[in-house]
Amino acid sequence: MAKKTIVPIGPYHPLLEEPEFFKLYCDGEIVKDVVWETGYNHRGIEKICESKTFEQVFYVVERICGICSTSHPFAYANAIESIPGVEIPIRAKYIRSIVGELERIHSHLLWMGLAGHFLGYNTVFMWAWKYREPVLDMFEIIAGNRNNYAMFTIGGVRRDIEEEKIKPLQDVLDKLKPKMDLLVGAVMDDPVIHARTKGVGVLTAEDIHDFGAVGPTARASGVDIDIRRDDPYAAYDLVDWKVITMPEGDIFAKAAVRLLEIYESISIIEQCLKGLKKEQEGGIKNKVKTIPPGIGMGRAEAPRGEVFHFVKSDGANRPVRHKIRAPSYTCIPTFRKSVVGGTIADAALATAAVDPCYCCTERMAQAYDYKSGQMIYNAADLVKLSQQKTQVLKNS
Amino acid sequence: MAIEDLKRNVNEKFPEIKEIEEVNKKRLMIFIPRELLHPMAKYLFEDLKYRYVIVTAMDSQDGYEIIYHFSDDTSGWVINLNVLLPHDKPEIESLVPVIKGVEWIEREIFDLIGITFLNHPNLKRFLFAESWKDGEYPFRRKHTEEKK
Repeated sequence: MAKKTIVPIGPYHPLLEEPEFFKLYCDGEIVKDVVWETGYNHRGIEKICESKTFEQVFYVVERICGICSTSHPFAYANAIESIPGVEIPIRAKYIRSIVGELERIHSHLLWMGLAGHFLGYNTVFMWAWKYREPVLDMFEIIAGNRNNYAMFTIGGVRRDIEEEKIKPLQDVLDKLKPKMDLLVGAVMDDPVIHARTKGVGVLTAEDIHDFGAVGPTARASGVDIDIRRDDPYAAYDLVDWKVITMPEGDIFAKAAVRLLEIYESISIIEQCLKGLKKEQEGGIKNKVKTIPPGIGMGRAEAPRGEVFHFVKSDGANRPVRHKIRAPSYTCIPTFRKSVVGGTIADAALATAAVDPCYCCTERMAQAYDYKSGQMIYNAADLVKLSQQKTQVLKNS
Repeated sequence: MAIEDLKRNVNEKFPEIKEIEEVNKKRLMIFIPRELLHPMAKYLFEDLKYRYVIVTAMDSQDGYEIIYHFSDDTSGWVINLNVLLPHDKPEIESLVPVIKGVEWIEREIFDLIGITFLNHPNLKRFLFAESWKDGEYPFRRKHTEEKK
């Protein structure tokens, strides 16, 4: 019998530059099981928070995620302010919501671009990321930074959005709307994108409940949940908007939910900017002297779903325990339902469909043979395979 | 379900539960003995369809507190089940048979604070490498170590 040699292809390629290790066990083309490992870059942020003051924790949790860097300070602020029961000024509420929604727009556009890339539609990738740029410029106008905005503090926000900044912000939004129409039309009406994403990676409402999945992943399976409406915070109960849901549960539904949410976010920001005009400038922070002993649980709807922070105070100036749950923690295990039974070419797309965020660094994906356990594809191969499948559809 | 109705139902169904506390606005803490974890979680998760959020483990003076967070998305309340485990016997039945989603967090708690989840389908290290030193738990406090 000839000796078998296993040739691994290349070093492990990062897919979304984040820390996760998937093993897809395959029988021929079909994925039979998914095994994941994590902890490749555990940073011990919960432990670090115990050695920081309540104020300093904002800047630590802001660095959990590079994309949705405001969602953690948002949930933490809701948690910590609930212990003494502090109300924040209305101006700060508007500013917090503006920052939160801008982040949703840029995060959804980033995801849309990557999904386009996995599909082999690099035009979608280029467009989505091009239109994301002015949104990041809006952050620069507001916070002086395109990422890690350091806007939040206990009792309010650290920087005001003054009258002269409102017009340039509104101008960017005005320009963004027609571009979004273009992008949404290109994605929603494309027959090849339909063929690749409809009926693929389906999650039912039951699956969502079993795993506790949240955000667009849940809403695309017809589960009508959104913390902004269900447990309102900041200015979300002061403006008109609606929660987008789709019943299908497939990848197309997830894309549609995200794209349509961008319109809602634009509308929320516009209403908040109008609200800011009516309020007097200044007054963006209420003073909070001490945090009494107690427990605070704060939630915020990040672009990927509910972020949950649990903070326990013993009356000193730092948390005794700070538990953080990012939305991907409950969304990623749904791969067991969405990927298993599908083809390898769809796996790259289905795993990306929940917009997984492992909080910064490398992630690896490989396909293994179900019977022999040998590695047959690495991450780069999976993306290539997915792109080839689209090409075949285009040519047929 | 309105929160007063929930409290009344819990008291009727589980008379062993003595302490239900509103720790904050829209945040309810139900203190339960460990034997009641499965029936109570089934009641919230299966009967009332509350959403599983996450589990927090804490080392406090009296023991290890395990807090199971559930969300009632129709009312915005967070309903928490608080189980106190003694320092000398940090063991509790795994909740995986009831809620699939707790598999990761139970492994994480096993890693970080050293709680054993009985009948967990895959209780091995989650965040730390396999080579991490046994018996070294970053979330255990000094007072726990001194008690030993």
